[in-house]
Amino acid sequence: MKAAAFDYVKPRSIDQVISLLQEHGDDARLLAGGQSLLASLNMRLSEPRLLVDLGGLDALRGIGVHGGMLRIGALTTHTEIEGSALVAQHAPLLSAAAPHIAHRAIRNAGTWGGSIAHADAAAEWPTCLLALGGTVVARGPKGERRIAADDFFRGLYATALEPEEVLVAGELPLATPGNWFAFDELARRRGDYAIVGMALAGRRHAGVLADTRIVLMGVDSTPLRARKTEALLNGKVADEALAATAAASLRAEIDPLPDLTNSPETKRHLAGVLLQRLLNGARA
Amino acid sequence: MELSGDIWIVATGPKVWEGLNDAEILVRSIPGCESMEVISPTERAARVMVKVGPVRARFTGHVRMEDIRPGEGCTLHFEGSGGPAGMAKGHSAVDLTDEDGGTRLNYTVQASVGGKLGQVGGRMIDAAAKQMAEQFFTAFNAAVGEVAPATEAGPAAEAPSGPPAPALAAEAIAVPLPAPAAAVPAPRVVRPPAPPAPAPVGEGVRVLWFALGALSTGFGVWIASLLSR
Amino acid sequence: MADLYPIRVTVNGELHQCSVSPRTHLVDFVRDTLGLKGSHLGCEHGVCGACTVELNGRTVRGCLTLAVQADGGTVNTIEGLSRAGVIRDLQDAFVQRNALQCGFCTSGMLMAAKELVEQRPDANRAEVREWISGNYCRCTGYHAIVDAICDVLQQRKAATSRTEASA
Repeated sequence: MKAAAFDYVKPRSIDQVISLLQEHGDDARLLAGGQSLLASLNMRLSEPRLLVDLGGLDALRGIGVHGGMLRIGALTTHTEIEGSALVAQHAPLLSAAAPHIAHRAIRNAGTWGGSIAHADAAAEWPTCLLALGGTVVARGPKGERRIAADDFFRGLYATALEPEEVLVAGELPLATPGNWFAFDELARRRGDYAIVGMALAGRRHAGVLADTRIVLMGVDSTPLRARKTEALLNGKVADEALAATAAASLRAEIDPLPDLTNSPETKRHLAGVLLQRLLNGARA
Repeated sequence: MELSGDIWIVATGPKVWEGLNDAEILVRSIPGCESMEVISPTERAARVMVKVGPVRARFTGHVRMEDIRPGEGCTLHFEGSGGPAGMAKGHSAVDLTDEDGGTRLNYTVQASVGGKLGQVGGRMIDAAAKQMAEQFFTAFNAAVGEVAPATEAGPAAEAPSGPPAPALAAEAIAVPLPAPAAAVPAPRVVRPPAPPAPAPVGEGVRVLWFALGALSTGFGVWIASLLSR
Repeated sequence: MADLYPIRVTVNGELHQCSVSPRTHLVDFVRDTLGLKGSHLGCEHGVCGACTVELNGRTVRGCLTLAVQADGGTVNTIEGLSRAGVIRDLQDAFVQRNALQCGFCTSGMLMAAKELVEQRPDANRAEVREWISGNYCRCTGYHAIVDAICDVLQQRKAATSRTEASA
């Protein structure tokens, strides 16, 4: 169906965007890739008075290494991340996750910043940002600030962004030789939102795991770190026995929310399956 | 969708009932509630603006109370429509017991969601319902804790703390929200043209259940937050 | 509210200057304002792929793109690509393999297929299936479509090796 009528503006500077947000408050919506926003407008689930198109802000584009971090601009598309040599080198978890995002036509338009700011618990980028201990860079009336991923996702589609702030970039620590990662999601069809998805990241030396992060997609209202199971893995060698123990620990640790087609028990079971697969696969 | 939970309310039974008599408290507690209207002693209609993520959906809901056991609980049958977004219907059961100087409230909700809400929102219904319930009970718990015992449900000449409302057929009061509730503009409360009898227990129970029903009805529209990518 | 917004957009090689309502989708703009009916409306929320068009060299969902977002850009629809001859081998393969019946999904399928054969010339059958899973077909059962795309991948590879061999 067609969206309700709205006004449209395409600012030329981020300061203009911020003052528009200050002026219009909740009546305005930011338009990045629009792959989630426009779908909700088409369904009339939202009828904002004004759309502020960020597409003119080239400063929000680009992938580069700055100050020891991989900085990905908010308007970088999923396809650009998928094909980026810098990402493959410095944050290969993202390269593994990108092909799982919807379908090519969506990936060509949807953005890194849009996905993180939208904060869908079953989306790939919020999960990966959390798994890598990344940082959100936000700009608002009081200037720029950085928010750690652990502090960023607050609730269902809720983030630490203030109403007048714009997410301008996401930063990730550069991968070092000791880093390992794994990613997979289980969905009924390719490109569907995950029933359960998982991003694993951490360090490994002589087979011994450290700084492990286990992040689950699609089981809670935010991407979910399984901290108890992380602690169980740290300091140990990831063999098959540990993978099985970890899967059991994970199943006991989480309390998944169901959706219309999958019960909590299904999700609980699948979470353990994913952890075992990824741990066993990563030894190879 | 099925949801169940319980909460301990920091007020004794009588205080809770008195708070439940107070439409202001209920409207403040229901996230996004804009108005509430009495249709009959056991039926209510409400308008709630639901905000989840980018979704802003205004829905109208209708609640019917049954099996009213004053002081113990009742069942609410509800249905709501979010316009083009879809609709929801279901029922909820609530039970109260005294506990530790306060009141333990147990609730279960069963709802079915149709239209676009069910189609695209399916995977988020439970998360949204749980969050909305938590918000409601947190606000209700805080609001009931604040209330001075002197409040009563009399109509006509009261002194509202907000600005005078524009002329309307029913009495309407603008209720300023307590600071923590942020983001929601002060809702307009339509005070029921209440029967002169205080009727604390029966009316209070009904209003509580109505509020829970309206809350449950909101879940359906909440789902709308789910969209493609 | 909602004054018309002026846009300049090149569609199938032709520059158009129009005023559109901001809420107009790109696919509705090409269909209703420009009369290019080859792109279709299916679900209008991005999942079926019938509205797929090319914007600035990449496929996008015409229903999840506003016409105003195409301002200053380049759009190619199935009509333009067909006329330019760049998907001739795909179109022939679709016909030969009976990869269309009602034809509703076909323009979107060809858009997706074109991007695949250009971006993933070494794709295998499984990768083709994954790639087109964002385009729904209710008639063919998909096998014939996958066959047609695989044929073209093979043909293009063979043509590339022949060119390289003779160079």
